[in-house]
Amino acid sequence: MKDEGMGRLRNELAEAWTVTIKDMKVYYLKPGMIMFGFLMPFFMFFSFSVQRDMAAEQGVARLLALTLFFTAAAAGPFIIPMERRLGTYDRLLAAPMSLLTLLLGKTAVGALFAIGTSTFALLVGVLAFGVNIAQPWLLVAGMILGAFSFSALGLIFGSIPTRNPGDVQMPSTLLRWGLLFISGVFISLADMGALARALAYISPLTYAQDLMNHAVLGHGLLNPWLDLTVLLASGVLFLVPSVLMHRRGRKLGY
Amino acid sequence: MTNTIEVENLTKVFGRPESGVVAVDHINFCVRQGEVFGFLGPNGAGKTTTQRMLTTLLEPTEGRIVTFGYDLEHDAYPVKRQMGLVPEEANVYTELTAWDNLMFTAQLYRVERAERASRARELLENFGLWEKRDVKAQDFSKGMRRRLSIAMAIIHKPALLFLDEPTPGLDAQSGRAIRDLIRQLNAEGTTIFLTTHQIEEANQLCDRVAIIDHGQIAAIDTPERLKAAFQRVQSVEVALEPDGGAHGDALAALPGATTSVKMGDKWRLYTEDPSTLLPRVMDYARLHELRVVSLSTLGPSLEDVFLEITGQQVGTVRHEEGEGRPQRQGMRDRMGGGR
Repeated sequence: MKDEGMGRLRNELAEAWTVTIKDMKVYYLKPGMIMFGFLMPFFMFFSFSVQRDMAAEQGVARLLALTLFFTAAAAGPFIIPMERRLGTYDRLLAAPMSLLTLLLGKTAVGALFAIGTSTFALLVGVLAFGVNIAQPWLLVAGMILGAFSFSALGLIFGSIPTRNPGDVQMPSTLLRWGLLFISGVFISLADMGALARALAYISPLTYAQDLMNHAVLGHGLLNPWLDLTVLLASGVLFLVPSVLMHRRGRKLGY
Repeated sequence: MTNTIEVENLTKVFGRPESGVVAVDHINFCVRQGEVFGFLGPNGAGKTTTQRMLTTLLEPTEGRIVTFGYDLEHDAYPVKRQMGLVPEEANVYTELTAWDNLMFTAQLYRVERAERASRARELLENFGLWEKRDVKAQDFSKGMRRRLSIAMAIIHKPALLFLDEPTPGLDAQSGRAIRDLIRQLNAEGTTIFLTTHQIEEANQLCDRVAIIDHGQIAAIDTPERLKAAFQRVQSVEVALEPDGGAHGDALAALPGATTSVKMGDKWRLYTEDPSTLLPRVMDYARLHELRVVSLSTLGPSLEDVFLEITGQQVGTVRHEEGEGRPQRQGMRDRMGGGR
């Protein structure tokens, strides 16, 4: 019985990985997507940092948080509605794996893409600006957990029962930009008022930014273990509405 | 004989259960191991909805599906491992090559690593796609995509294969190749659940057919028994010259003829008793100084049975009063309407 359970687990993990690799090939490793992954964070960074007196380390910490946030959910919200429309999602839903396995595979691909692009941003920071990383292990853990959390957040929108990618564009964009402005990316947590800070604590991006500050600058406002825990827990929690919406989709016929 | 699928009281209501649209209405049937089971019905009858419930893609509102002995709602995993699905639209990944599409599916179904490549090659060769293995599916014709879609559905050698309208829109060659493949798979032991509105396809392929109409099973039996149950839809087909097309109303009015339908340059006269009608047709031709180019009697085709059950009569000149639902209900009672 135990062996059977382990075999099933091995199969499910392998199937999730198969979905990840397929999505990577079909949707992410495309010239347009790669260009987006490389350029978008820099545009974002320069948009919010020009004419500001900012140290290179501070800039890289901010760049990493922004890159993770925007690239992890860059395509995720739109892939599932598009696959539903093309009928390819049925192939995945009918395959021998649980819904959670499928969603983990979909989450992993967004997370891997975010890790890849933020690694590129990091290399630019280290090689071009001579930035030192204060706590490398925190950086690695923060990038992995941040990417997982943001990718899972994007998947919530992809799980809305619809076949039209346009239906998820507006809510997904609204939420992401909303989170961007309430999180401690542009105004540090220490400079925020009580209400603004209370709002900031709702956003997982706040914890990712704080973690990047710990990793790159060597200090942040919150306990790094709290940051890591919140990112992991939020990633897991974000999967719950995705599962529920998929179940609703199965009732409705999506 | 063991049942591969057992369906009990299967119901699907879209919307609220009390006020929604009933797509499938308390249907019961079983699919026997090793058979080709045809699921026929007009558009919107509930065919695809039923198939989507059988393949776990849609949650039933009510009822139970047991496949390979497993209750599908509670234990779908072992069923999914043994099941293949070919949907109506070829759902291949157009950005991937034929080879990558097959490799992806093989990995998804945990086909042994050593077996994957040889199985993919065998399928691509059988489906005439080997030369195109490195071509992205976006450059494939509709028929090629459909073949690839079927290859993807059977790469793990499923014991049960669902095919939803596999041939419409294909050229004759591709359609025939797919029908041959269905026969071959079935001969190798695969149970086939074929959803179609191509009646002749069902007639050629299926051991048994179920006819669904308005979400309810109207009849289930072998094609031949269904036809035998409808002896009253036998027909006489006649081609007359000159001006043969002008005699439909008069032919339909002959004693013994129930309906006349124009079939190209011929008229098909439906009757319960061809032997009585035949001499009357000859008398009619003599009286009007017409030449009988051809004259033949036909038993009921599966299409006739289907049209009778679903109440559809295409090109009918004269309808019998009372045709339609009450008659179908009678048929349902006669045929069991279930197992």
